[in-house]
Amino acid sequence: MQYRNLILKIILILLVVSLSGFVRWKAVTTLSIDYDEDDYLRAAQQFSTLIKNKDLSGFLETNYRPEHPQLTKILLGLSLLPEKEYPLVKDSPTTAGPNVYLPRPLVKNARIMNAVFGVASTIGISLLNPVAGLLQAIHSFNVKYTSEIMLESIPAFTSFMVVLFYLLWRRENGIRRRKILWLILSAVFLGLTAASKYMYCIVGNAVLLDWVFRPRAERKQGRPGLMLALWVGVAILVFMICFPYLWKEPLPRLLDSIFYHVRYSTGAAEVQSANYPVWQPLNWLFFSPNIWQPEAFFFALDPLITLLAIFGVVRLWNKYRVFVLWLIFSLIFLLFWPTKWPQYTIMLTAPLCLAAAEGLDMLVGVPIRSLFFHKKTTKSENREPEKNEFRKALPWLIPGLFFFSLLTLIPLIYQFGVSLTDFNSNSLREAMQGGIFRTVFNGISGREAINSQEFPYTSTKLNYLGFSNYLPLLQYLEQLGIISYNLMWTFLSVLLQTMLGVTAALLLWQKRTWFRPFWQVLFILPWAIPEMIGALMWRNVFLPETGWLALGVAKYGSSFPFSFLADWQNTPEKTLIILLIAGLWYGFPFIMLAASAGLRFIPSEVMDSASIDGAGGWQRLRYVIFPLLAPLVLPAMILRAIFSFNQFYLFQAFYQFSGTLATLSYNFFNPTGYFTRGQFSIAAALNMITLVILLVFVLFFIRLENDVTRGTHAVKNQS
Amino acid sequence: MSPGVPMRLKTRANPLFLQIPLMIIGIFVILPIWGILRLAFDGSLFGRATSFRLLPQTWSFSSFLKVLDSPYQSVIFPRLLLNSILVSVLAAFLAIIFGMMLAYAMARYRFPGKKLGMTVILLTAILPPIAFVIPLYVLMTALHLRTTLLALVLVYAVFGLPFCIWNLRAGFLTVSPEVEEAAFLDGAGPWATFIKISLPLASPSIFVAGMISFLLAYSEFAIGWLFVEKASHVTLAMAVYAMVQSGNAQPWSMLGSFIILISIPAVALFLLFQALIVKRMMFGYLD
Repeated sequence: MQYRNLILKIILILLVVSLSGFVRWKAVTTLSIDYDEDDYLRAAQQFSTLIKNKDLSGFLETNYRPEHPQLTKILLGLSLLPEKEYPLVKDSPTTAGPNVYLPRPLVKNARIMNAVFGVASTIGISLLNPVAGLLQAIHSFNVKYTSEIMLESIPAFTSFMVVLFYLLWRRENGIRRRKILWLILSAVFLGLTAASKYMYCIVGNAVLLDWVFRPRAERKQGRPGLMLALWVGVAILVFMICFPYLWKEPLPRLLDSIFYHVRYSTGAAEVQSANYPVWQPLNWLFFSPNIWQPEAFFFALDPLITLLAIFGVVRLWNKYRVFVLWLIFSLIFLLFWPTKWPQYTIMLTAPLCLAAAEGLDMLVGVPIRSLFFHKKTTKSENREPEKNEFRKALPWLIPGLFFFSLLTLIPLIYQFGVSLTDFNSNSLREAMQGGIFRTVFNGISGREAINSQEFPYTSTKLNYLGFSNYLPLLQYLEQLGIISYNLMWTFLSVLLQTMLGVTAALLLWQKRTWFRPFWQVLFILPWAIPEMIGALMWRNVFLPETGWLALGVAKYGSSFPFSFLADWQNTPEKTLIILLIAGLWYGFPFIMLAASAGLRFIPSEVMDSASIDGAGGWQRLRYVIFPLLAPLVLPAMILRAIFSFNQFYLFQAFYQFSGTLATLSYNFFNPTGYFTRGQFSIAAALNMITLVILLVFVLFFIRLENDVTRGTHAVKNQS
Repeated sequence: MSPGVPMRLKTRANPLFLQIPLMIIGIFVILPIWGILRLAFDGSLFGRATSFRLLPQTWSFSSFLKVLDSPYQSVIFPRLLLNSILVSVLAAFLAIIFGMMLAYAMARYRFPGKKLGMTVILLTAILPPIAFVIPLYVLMTALHLRTTLLALVLVYAVFGLPFCIWNLRAGFLTVSPEVEEAAFLDGAGPWATFIKISLPLASPSIFVAGMISFLLAYSEFAIGWLFVEKASHVTLAMAVYAMVQSGNAQPWSMLGSFIILISIPAVALFLLFQALIVKRMMFGYLD
């Protein structure tokens, strides 16, 4: 059994690795030349020439594009050795477009070098989890930037090795000398990472945090301080060895190199003109580069991988906390870092794919496995259904099901049919006479060929389009970044509402609060006001020119409170803040009410015993109040999350074309709106996409619930 | 641990300091409402507000009277109110009746496909209402109902239905089957058992589900416009939105007073039944 699993795993890894190599080979040979490739090829050429001339002392002075360390460029230079010398690629400013006249043999060699490290990453990740390796192999952003002459491939590999060896060091209980070896290897790779590209060193922070915040018993083993010093020391040593440019005057050159990034990120023309919102990295995570060059990629599943990762992140935390820390640290860094190039997302592909593999296992793996291996023991616990129970239920079911099917279920199915056509408000007449059924039936049975139409659709005759609405629509959504925006909006809304709601509940709960009933009624007010009225009220506050804020700023100048928000419609970040404020106002009372209900259940004896045991204010909050609040606040949060995900009236009142999927769907649908003709079929396809996303969430929560109830059953059985 | 810690104490915070964060939240809550009140009572406005003021320039009730006269085109206020009440009550009624039947079957009986049914209902409960609009638009047009009030009723009933099913099922689950069995043994038929036992015991849930459905229909303004062509079929919420869209044609004080008038019933309902609503709303998703 043991051996069979091992052999299975090896075969799986081999398959994954060959897929990874195949996909990258395709990318190496077909991707057109990208920005920056000329720069790094020039740097590589310089090192290649130095090596050929056996002029190793030149390494001390050569570092074209000095903002990046040397190691990657040297390795790329090695890959050029087998080729004959070409004239040095000319030096061009960072604003220049892609240089398509690069010598092709050199490009190919350097790209292969990077792709080899991309495949090496696949191997590393596969060792830990072959499914994660598979996801990394097909992650198209990763494929793109590990197959071009970029600096990403090598640090992506080495940073993963840092964690892998760190984990081995943690696990190894055997001989001490061997144990130390793992730690030293981890440090070596950290040094190599630093010498390849600085920002990948984020992984070091994750490892450090995981290391320091351990249960005390685990931490005490060995001499932690010494180990830490060893780890850091070796890393710095390796970094210095692999970065000979620093040897002559270490500090000035290092500082110059690092501070270049700060200057670049705040001053460079291309960063300014790209004008990405703060959350652009999230948009990249829900984007597949095959939109740019479809023929170079076999897969475009990046958004799906990110979605799966959201589901798997909790399970990954329980298994390998360090990867989740890595993910969080890199995300925070990317959100705050002003430069937002797409290649930066490569630094978190490894933890992302590991989390996605856990999510995939949860959603697909566990149900399938339980189908084959799980013995149905739980059935006997429930009472057997009576024989005539179904007959008894029928009188209740029939009218309810009739109404539900007629107005809810059938519309959804009908809508799927609509999404396969070019239905727009011009073809309404035909659709009313059963045209959708006819068209879809003819299309599926092959009686009518796919008749592609120009968007926006205006045909008065219904045409069958098959699934060809979906792909361009998905790409449009990716370019708009709306799925990431919608999820981010939901997350931030619920977070803010929970924070304010719980705070308000705690304030009102205090023994010596004055005017408690007054505050209580006042705070409930926003929840009692219908959403659209609340949205209009905030619109009156924030409207450009005529809103309260704009008038106040016009009268009192920039000393007026919150005057920095007056020009909110010009920047996406400020628009988000405005919308979040209005959403917070509307949403926090519900959480507050749920939290208040929970607080009422906390017996004062619990608080007394906690304070007698010496628990301080924060400790009481963290260990006594929050766990007791969770059962009531969590469902309220889920309700708010569903609500925020579908939020529509708020965006409508603030004239946002997109924002949530629901808003976008309305704007595509509206027969008198943005498109002069209502694009019904596009709106329908959009609704289908929303349906699938929400279905995944529902399945996920049902799984989670099953796990929890199974857990309580187990507890019951034990006691 | 210090021996002097007093018993039964939540915090030792000074009540004065507690008032400061409460006041900050209070200002945040009151701000947009105040903005509307300031508009509503200002008799000096001809279009939009042109200068920053905390209080109206000239106090006046005239805009309220104007709104109560004819807020939308030449339609009188009572007509709009009647439309709103008619549509919302009927929609809530339909959602409750049909939702109740499905919910009762789901809560009481076991039958093939129940689990799938529950998943589908949950899914429809969390879909945005807009997801149902396209097919309903076509269906209503095909039935030549699209521009009638009945279409609005049906559409709003659909929006409320999944929530009703989900919430009422939880309500029926709290009624213990033993009580029903006892009634059954005393000779009551299934219908009588339902009417006399289950329905009264689940009435708080039914009330809350009905109220939520009512308010959903009462305050819906964007999707409703797709199903209305005659001015006499407009509801209050839709009329508010029409006024918003018309921009500076009317004084903004009219918009303000309209918003206040339309909010009053909703706010009154919520404030009266807040504890019940929170309990019931969360219940549906707790089990």
